[in-house]
Amino acid sequence: MDDHQTQDLVKELVLRLLSAESGGGGRDAGGALRFAHRLLSSRLAPAVLPDEHALAESIKRRLASSGRPDDALAFADLHSKLSVRSRPASLWPLLYLLDSLSSHRRSAAAASCLPNLPMAGTPRAPAATGGKPASRVPGAPPGGVVLVSKDPDNIREMALREYTELVLDETEVSEAALVRDVLYACQGIDGRYVRYDKGRDTYDLPDAIRVPRSTRTLVRKLCELGCLFRKVRGFISDNIRRLPSDAATEVGTVAQAFCSALQEELSDYYKLLAVLESYSLNPIPTPGSDSGVSGNYLSLRRLVVWLAEPAVRMRLMAVLVDGCRGLRGGGMAGAIHGHAQHGDPMFQDFMSRLLRRVCSPLFEMVRSWVLEGELEDVFGEFFIVGQPVKAECLWREGYLIQSDMLPTFISPVLAQRILRTGKSINFLKVCCDDNGWADAATEAAAYVGTTTSRGGLGYGQIDALEALVVEAAKRIDQRLMDVIHKRYQFKDHCLAIKRYLLLGQGDFVQYLMDVVGPELSEPANRISSFHLAGLLETAIRASDAQYDDRDILDRIKVKMMDHGDGDRGWDVFSLEYDARVPLDTVFTASVMKMYLKIFNFLWKLKRVDHSLTGVWKTMKPNCIVSSPFYKEGTSIRVQFVSVLRKCQVLFNEMNHFVTNFQYYIMFEVLEISWARFSEEMDAAKDLDDLLTGHDKYLTSIVEKSLLGERSQGILRNLFALFDIILQFRSHADRWFERIYDLQLRGKGKSKTKSKEAGSWLDGGRKAMIQLAGELFRKMGEDLDSIAKDYTASLDAFISQLPLQQHVDLKFLLFRLDFTEYYSRVSSNK
Amino acid sequence: MPREIITIQVGQCGNQIGMEFWKQLCLEHGIGKDGLLEDFATQGGDRKDVFFYQADDQHYIPRALLMDLEPRVINGIQNSEYRNLYNHENIFLSEHGGGAGNNWASGYHQGEQVVDDIMDMVDREADGSDSLEGFVLCHSIAGGTGSGMGSYLLETLNDRYSKKLVQTYSVFPNQMETSDVVVQPYNSLLTLKRLTLNADCVVVLDNTALNRIAVERLHLANPTFAQTNSLVSTVMSASTTTLRYPGYMNNDLAGLLASLIPTPRCHFLMTGYTPLTVERQVNMIRKTTVLDVMRRLLQTKNIMVSSYARTKEASQAKYISILNIIQGEVDPTQVHESLQRIRERKLVNFVEWGPASIQVALSRKSPYVQTTHRVSGLMLANHTSIRHLFSKCLGQYEKLRKKQAFLDNYRKFPMFEDNDLSEFDESREIIEGLVDEYKACESPDYIKWGMEDLGEANVAAALDSKLVV
Repeated sequence: MDDHQTQDLVKELVLRLLSAESGGGGRDAGGALRFAHRLLSSRLAPAVLPDEHALAESIKRRLASSGRPDDALAFADLHSKLSVRSRPASLWPLLYLLDSLSSHRRSAAAASCLPNLPMAGTPRAPAATGGKPASRVPGAPPGGVVLVSKDPDNIREMALREYTELVLDETEVSEAALVRDVLYACQGIDGRYVRYDKGRDTYDLPDAIRVPRSTRTLVRKLCELGCLFRKVRGFISDNIRRLPSDAATEVGTVAQAFCSALQEELSDYYKLLAVLESYSLNPIPTPGSDSGVSGNYLSLRRLVVWLAEPAVRMRLMAVLVDGCRGLRGGGMAGAIHGHAQHGDPMFQDFMSRLLRRVCSPLFEMVRSWVLEGELEDVFGEFFIVGQPVKAECLWREGYLIQSDMLPTFISPVLAQRILRTGKSINFLKVCCDDNGWADAATEAAAYVGTTTSRGGLGYGQIDALEALVVEAAKRIDQRLMDVIHKRYQFKDHCLAIKRYLLLGQGDFVQYLMDVVGPELSEPANRISSFHLAGLLETAIRASDAQYDDRDILDRIKVKMMDHGDGDRGWDVFSLEYDARVPLDTVFTASVMKMYLKIFNFLWKLKRVDHSLTGVWKTMKPNCIVSSPFYKEGTSIRVQFVSVLRKCQVLFNEMNHFVTNFQYYIMFEVLEISWARFSEEMDAAKDLDDLLTGHDKYLTSIVEKSLLGERSQGILRNLFALFDIILQFRSHADRWFERIYDLQLRGKGKSKTKSKEAGSWLDGGRKAMIQLAGELFRKMGEDLDSIAKDYTASLDAFISQLPLQQHVDLKFLLFRLDFTEYYSRVSSNK
Repeated sequence: MPREIITIQVGQCGNQIGMEFWKQLCLEHGIGKDGLLEDFATQGGDRKDVFFYQADDQHYIPRALLMDLEPRVINGIQNSEYRNLYNHENIFLSEHGGGAGNNWASGYHQGEQVVDDIMDMVDREADGSDSLEGFVLCHSIAGGTGSGMGSYLLETLNDRYSKKLVQTYSVFPNQMETSDVVVQPYNSLLTLKRLTLNADCVVVLDNTALNRIAVERLHLANPTFAQTNSLVSTVMSASTTTLRYPGYMNNDLAGLLASLIPTPRCHFLMTGYTPLTVERQVNMIRKTTVLDVMRRLLQTKNIMVSSYARTKEASQAKYISILNIIQGEVDPTQVHESLQRIRERKLVNFVEWGPASIQVALSRKSPYVQTTHRVSGLMLANHTSIRHLFSKCLGQYEKLRKKQAFLDNYRKFPMFEDNDLSEFDESREIIEGLVDEYKACESPDYIKWGMEDLGEANVAAALDSKLVV
């Protein structure tokens, strides 16, 4: 009967299909009908077991693995709803059909039986329409599968029943209850049996409850998820709960972002659990009972499968949570980033989703720092921290990189660049009072293509970030250099320092020496620095310095250093240059101290040079050659000439030393260092370059002028030489004063002598000559002792010179010993 | 307090080279012919007040005194376009205007006569400066006024301004052509005595060498005075650049001379200059580096003093000191390299009795004067070979003196009255002493020189023992 009905239906179908296709043809229809019959009557069946659950599972997995976990869950949900409503057995074919359709769509026009064979559609049709074919399953229709349950014997059922009883006997708790408990545990809730054990930090079945060993193991395994979940949720709630409270500083934006990302992941997890819970309502078929009752029941084993993947994810989250505990800001982002280096694509996917969220506040901070110079860092998470400092220290100390906040995905070089860019903006804002940087920043942003508004960047766009930073750095630095050079005349100030503190403006230095000199010979505590300031002004007015910019001249100030007992003015006098904001960033207090040191040294050198010129002037040619002693009797003349020659030769040596030392200082030290610095100054792209250049300039001067740490010994020797020269000067002044005095007396007498030759006058002349003779003898002795001291000190100095570290000092030796005079002298010894 | 320097130009030659000097200074400082600063001269960095002062109406006025016993040259200046440059109170012309007749004694005597007038001028000018550094005298030693009156001035300045420096630019006569001044050797000798005793520094400008340079180096067939004078003015202005463009060193004349003149009698300096050009003559452009310039400066052909030394003597001649003033854009690193090369090649011989070296001063170049070469250099050197120039003068004097020629002209004047020619003998003795001292400087034993031959063996021995430490 069935068959008839079916056959009619089949015939009808075939005819309709054929007529729809080609407009009829009996032969064809007959053949087709026969083919259909053959198909239907054949025992052809898909090579799969009609296991609905396996199919559903595979669909789900495919959805999940193709990155659509939400769809997978939705599918599971729909599937469970559908299976509740319809009869269980009817679902498999439906699913199979949908699945093969979808897989067919996936593989596009790949060979599939359905559209290629028009006939092939027919046998499926009844199945698809539901109803009749479904009834075939229990009634062993020709198209069904041979089922084991067809076994007529009762033995099996009896055995199963026995087994169930046995099992029940052994188990206090039903599996369904356990499943529910496990699901509870997975949500972090204590179930009826499964409870959280604080001591072991795990969910477990109390030992008192009697369950089979395998079940216990299974439960434990499943409950791991619960513990992980607890940990993650704990972390989130820890962080979130603290938010509104006053301890807002404790939780940073990065942590907040992290938590919200975690929470989103958890909401997926919750969805899954909801689905599973609905499944768990379906009774678990006992072995032996009718297997067709419901496919969507949950057993512990099924749960293992269901929860395997979420467990992996949860474990990862727990690991992250553990890793992030105690970390903040950039450090946290870095820690998370550390876990992202994973080969598993699922891992990578997950991590990048997470990191995008976590890093967005960080990137936002970088952006606003680099483009606006703002530290939008309420929670202290950024890897750059600002410190309240005075304007002159802003550049060097105002902002620092906190290495523990520096995420590993930002390289130190990039971090430095980021630091400098924001620092430059702040420097421009605070110290230079400049607004032009804003245009530069906008330009940079426009060039890179990021908006200056928030949220332009995310994780994974590290290249974009770098491009932005580089561009911003370039423009901001350019701006800063412009401001420093053009508005603040950096080079002019450097030149002014070179001219006034490093004594480059020779005429000014000379007048200063002239006017200040007498004052400085006084004891230090009796000198008024106001008076000196007045004298400084005089020197400026008298020299070419007067044409200099008034702004520059106003910055030159007299500075008296701290003086001890017995210090003379020479020991404490110095000049300083008031650099003012913003240039005091370059010329900091410590830098000025170095300049001070150099000034003192050069000033001392100049003073020695000055006094030697003074000596020369007192014994200058037309005073000596026209001296009456040149004409007097031979004995006194020889004495005079000999003592003079000694004096001149000694003077020549000293002058040679001082002059050549000065040439060395000028050519080999000041000018060369300046030339290099000039080059570096022009090439400097940012303030750091400029600072480095200047530091190098200063250090090279200090080192080469023997002021460095390592040359203290030789410097002492040099100062000893200077002292001897100054001593020589004061002696020479006295000697020549006496000589000219005697000369004058002799002159007066020789005039009278020509007129009246008196014996008493002759006697007076004799006395005068005797006095002169004594003077010359004394002078000769003094000269010998000074010469001896000088030679000893000079020998020591020259022998120490080659031992100095700095190579350029060989230039000094070269100059001092240009004619190899000293090498000859020492080789003769 | 600019350490002012007052220039005194005496006689025909002195006023001519003086005028060229001021022309050159005006050019370099951007001062117009009327003493007003040119509009373009705003770059500064130069010191005008060493050689000029500013009148109430902003005119720059040279610190110069113009003196002559005959009006020709000074009238020429007063009729030139520079007539408004000088302070007219600073011009001295003798009333009769008859000159000195190329007679030293006449010039000296006339100087003595008008000493109050000229010293008034000097005093006034000196009072007008804050910290007078000294005087520069421009003159020739062969004629009558420059030599005679100049000599008298030197003595007076030495007496009255003993603490101030006295530098001279002394033009020595051209020995290659027969001069119309037959008594030239007498005049030279008498002036040389004053240069030796009363000057602190004498820059010797040897007309013989200047002519040679003009002919050989500048390829002028018959160099005029104007052309040789422009060489002189170049040297004079170059030797003052470090005073006029202040730098780290060599900013005052005393400091400059102190290193050049270590022994008081040997204060005669030679000069050399490269590359040389004269007005209206465009020289070929050369490659000028510091080394080139320094090497060329050491070549005798560029030195403005003739060397009359024989080969053997020339090889023994030594430098007591050298200062090279390099002007232009110079990389300071080149200086050391150049010095090294010069030492390696042993291009220069220094005295052996003390340390010495080539000093190099870098100086700015005037921005207002365009030159075709990047670097130019002036050498100021104290070289012992200059003694041959003095020997030559002595020789010529001896020749004349032996013949007792032309002495009558001198006997007319008080100094040589009653046939008292002791002044000649004394001068000769002093010049011989000078020549000897230069010669002694060539020996390593210079320190002991002059002591051993003059008796008093015990004193000398005692001194010697001390000297040989």
